[in-house]
Amino acid sequence: MLKPYILENMEFDKDSLYKLGKLSKIQIDESKLKSLSSDLGSIIEFIDRLKSIDTENVDPTSNSLDQSLVMRDDIASDVNSANEILENAPQKELDFFSVPKVIE
Amino acid sequence: MINGWELVIGIEIHAQVKSKSKLFSSSSTEFGSGPNSQVSLVDAAMPGMLPVINKFCVEQAVRSGIGLNAKINNKSIFDRKNYFYQDLPQGYQISQFKDPIVGNGFIEIESEGQSKKIGIERLHLEQDAGKSLHDQDPNLTFVDLNRSGIALMEIVSMPDMKSPDEAVEYVKKVRSILRYLDTCDGNMEQGSLRADVNVSVNKPGDDLGTRCEIKNLNSFKYIHSAIIYEAKRQIKLIESGENIIQETRLYNIDSGETRSMRSKEDAHDYRYFPDPDLLPLILEDDWIKKIRSSIPELPDQKKERFIREYSLSEYDSSVIVSDKSTSDYYEKVVKDRNPKLVTTWVTSELFSVLNKKNLSIDESPISPNHLGELIDNIDSGKISSRQAKDIFEEMCETGESANNIINEKGLSQISDEGELEKLVDNVISSNPENVEKYKNGKDKLFGFFVGEAMKLSKGKANPKVLNELLKSKLNT
Repeated sequence: MLKPYILENMEFDKDSLYKLGKLSKIQIDESKLKSLSSDLGSIIEFIDRLKSIDTENVDPTSNSLDQSLVMRDDIASDVNSANEILENAPQKELDFFSVPKVIE
Repeated sequence: MINGWELVIGIEIHAQVKSKSKLFSSSSTEFGSGPNSQVSLVDAAMPGMLPVINKFCVEQAVRSGIGLNAKINNKSIFDRKNYFYQDLPQGYQISQFKDPIVGNGFIEIESEGQSKKIGIERLHLEQDAGKSLHDQDPNLTFVDLNRSGIALMEIVSMPDMKSPDEAVEYVKKVRSILRYLDTCDGNMEQGSLRADVNVSVNKPGDDLGTRCEIKNLNSFKYIHSAIIYEAKRQIKLIESGENIIQETRLYNIDSGETRSMRSKEDAHDYRYFPDPDLLPLILEDDWIKKIRSSIPELPDQKKERFIREYSLSEYDSSVIVSDKSTSDYYEKVVKDRNPKLVTTWVTSELFSVLNKKNLSIDESPISPNHLGELIDNIDSGKISSRQAKDIFEEMCETGESANNIINEKGLSQISDEGELEKLVDNVISSNPENVEKYKNGKDKLFGFFVGEAMKLSKGKANPKVLNELLKSKLNT
């Protein structure tokens, strides 16, 4: 059984927070560090409580619907023109999306 | 082994499924269309668009799995592999992580004259990314999403290969199997099949070394030379006391070197999780069984059959079956014909013309029927093999049939003894001195008489009959 949820003041460490921010392309404001870390810490701690449940003989659930994937036939159709697809592009050149130079 | 170091090689092959539409959208997969002309709102990752899986692609993954002697999983799951890159509008690639559609399998390759088993860890379905062009503008990278969302089968091998030759043999074999199954066209130049190669080195008996991954190799030659370069680089580093850093590297086809691909370093935390837009993929046993029963003869079986039915040598048979089109061609020609003649003509004459003109067998200037006709004429003794070679050359140039050329030029061989006897008598009577010398033991002159008689016949004399006639006349 899951115990009732009690907020404990567990902190999410700073390095993980920055890494998460970087991976999510979110800039983290220094002044928000403490509150974010504490909020995320509580979320992790809450989720961690699920570990107390015995799932030995339970298959992992990847989707809550008890159905299989519906498949479509392999038919190609002209869906959109390049113009339509590029309509919302912030920047384009010829019929390409263009972005600041990516150096590999 | 290089300088006492062992190589350990594992390979991931990305093979594009030969489907008309993409894995999760209905846009066309045709190669070579204008930029961004085959992009749906799903491929461009517009908000609210939902993926719907292509049944044909699932079927091809299962077919390929069966061809790789692998376990087909009744339940598989699609996951999101998260990373940020300009060619990936979704911000994640839909792939399969923990539960791929195909599990363990194996294939057999030839290594140093022996058969060797290479393990397959898995095959899973995933989306291809778009294409970036870095050389169109000094300050910008251009992105074309036509390739975005095309179905790929990623085939992961066990680290079972020990040399660049084995690595190349492995990729060749997988490519050949996929082409037989017709699940991937195997066109490496167009990128339909490309390989990521993992290389590490260690001293015999030691633990495995740290590996580096060389991305996106699209020819057998590059695979071979990239592995040699990378192994030597690692050995040099270790021998000078440094450590290998596990990383992704790029192979430069101009310099033949590999270099670190730093741009993807931050991306290694992919934060996989099941894609909530996609339910688990459940495959019924009956469906898998149906696919299994439709699997055609694969290269290994065909090789054995050719050896059995046409008495081919092990070598000739593997050369002919390694490419499906070649084996189809061969079989069309060999039907009801002398296999030995057919094998010689296909593997020497035809292959050399194709090589010279840089053509695939599908583009052969000589159709199987035309080659068959030529061989019929040789087999029946109507033309000599010398004449056949000339006719063959002309067939390549003009596309004419052998019979037409033979009739037009009056090329057919003279096998009629009466006619040849006249020629022989003529040669003997007009060269009395040489006949005398020959009879006094100068055997080498025999060739002279053959040559003279041949000249008189304008090259049309059947050499076998001519030789016999000359011998009997000169030795009496």
